[in-house]
Amino acid sequence: MVKKILLVDDSPISRRMLKSCIAKDMGYQFYEAGDGLEGLNLYKEIRPDVTFMDLTMPVMDGVTSLQEILNFDNDAVVIVSTADVQIKSITNCLDIGAFLVLKKPPTRESIFNALSMAAELPR
Amino acid sequence: MTAQMTSDAISISDEEKEILQEIMNIAFGKAAADLAEVISIFVRLSVPEIAMVQVIDLPAYLRSEVSCCEPISIIEQNFWGEFKGSAFLVFKSGAEKELISLLDSGGEASFESESLEILERETLMEVGNILIGACVGKVAELLKDVVTYSPPRVIIEDNPDHAIPESLLDPSLTAIILKTVFCFHERDVNGLLFLVTSQESVAWLKNALFEFMEQYECA
Repeated sequence: MVKKILLVDDSPISRRMLKSCIAKDMGYQFYEAGDGLEGLNLYKEIRPDVTFMDLTMPVMDGVTSLQEILNFDNDAVVIVSTADVQIKSITNCLDIGAFLVLKKPPTRESIFNALSMAAELPR
Repeated sequence: MTAQMTSDAISISDEEKEILQEIMNIAFGKAAADLAEVISIFVRLSVPEIAMVQVIDLPAYLRSEVSCCEPISIIEQNFWGEFKGSAFLVFKSGAEKELISLLDSGGEASFESESLEILERETLMEVGNILIGACVGKVAELLKDVVTYSPPRVIIEDNPDHAIPESLLDPSLTAIILKTVFCFHERDVNGLLFLVTSQESVAWLKNALFEFMEQYECA
């Protein structure tokens, strides 16, 4: 069961959209960060079960943050949620070790499926 | 940003601007993917900045963005739907040469029979058509609208003050400016997109943004 979810996105609207796609009655605890560096630091502090990561962000971009998180915790489950739908971007994230890449805007179905897949991982 | 809206202009709240920025971000992601497919190289996107100004303040805005003596190239394309207006994609001088070299390096284009001037115009037109079409089209799709387009037109102008057609310098029109930088394979090409639209369309846009966010309000 996924309990802690970290949302890393510079857009508060984007974080709100993503959060609203997750059922409120599932008891998730949400944590939010506005750039990749803040996301990395928060990850180290709270060790979330799942992290949703945007790619195009100020201070530290999502690819760097993803790499740093995986360097810190090789078992981190990071789901990239991005508007950058170029094939090269998607394959790059998966090669680095992203669990999934979801294109924006999020839908309830895609987020539900992603969290269900994450919940099935051996922890 | 020094531009002021007149009292009768429909204003956009900070929250509406944030929603529009996110929608534009998604739209530009789609535009970049479409362009990357055509030129077969990776396009790195920057975080877009959004601003709204009156159209009569656009020349001043353009002056602040490009050197006053530097020629600029503009691709203009009109679009019609519930949301209607004119889209302008602005490149600094020299961008067309960068774009041609990128297209050429793909090894698929042959420019031997073309004069350079025609080639530059056609390149700008093609790139503009892809970026404007994908961007405006995605915004329309997300806001449940359907738009049609006029053929693109290229304007090359030495003075940014003269870059906007006089017929558009109407105080009742609003410009939505989306500033972003496309980085093509280690080469930065600065692109500035702005949409000139009527107060009526801005009113429609506000409502469409509200409806777009409604789907995300309750889980």
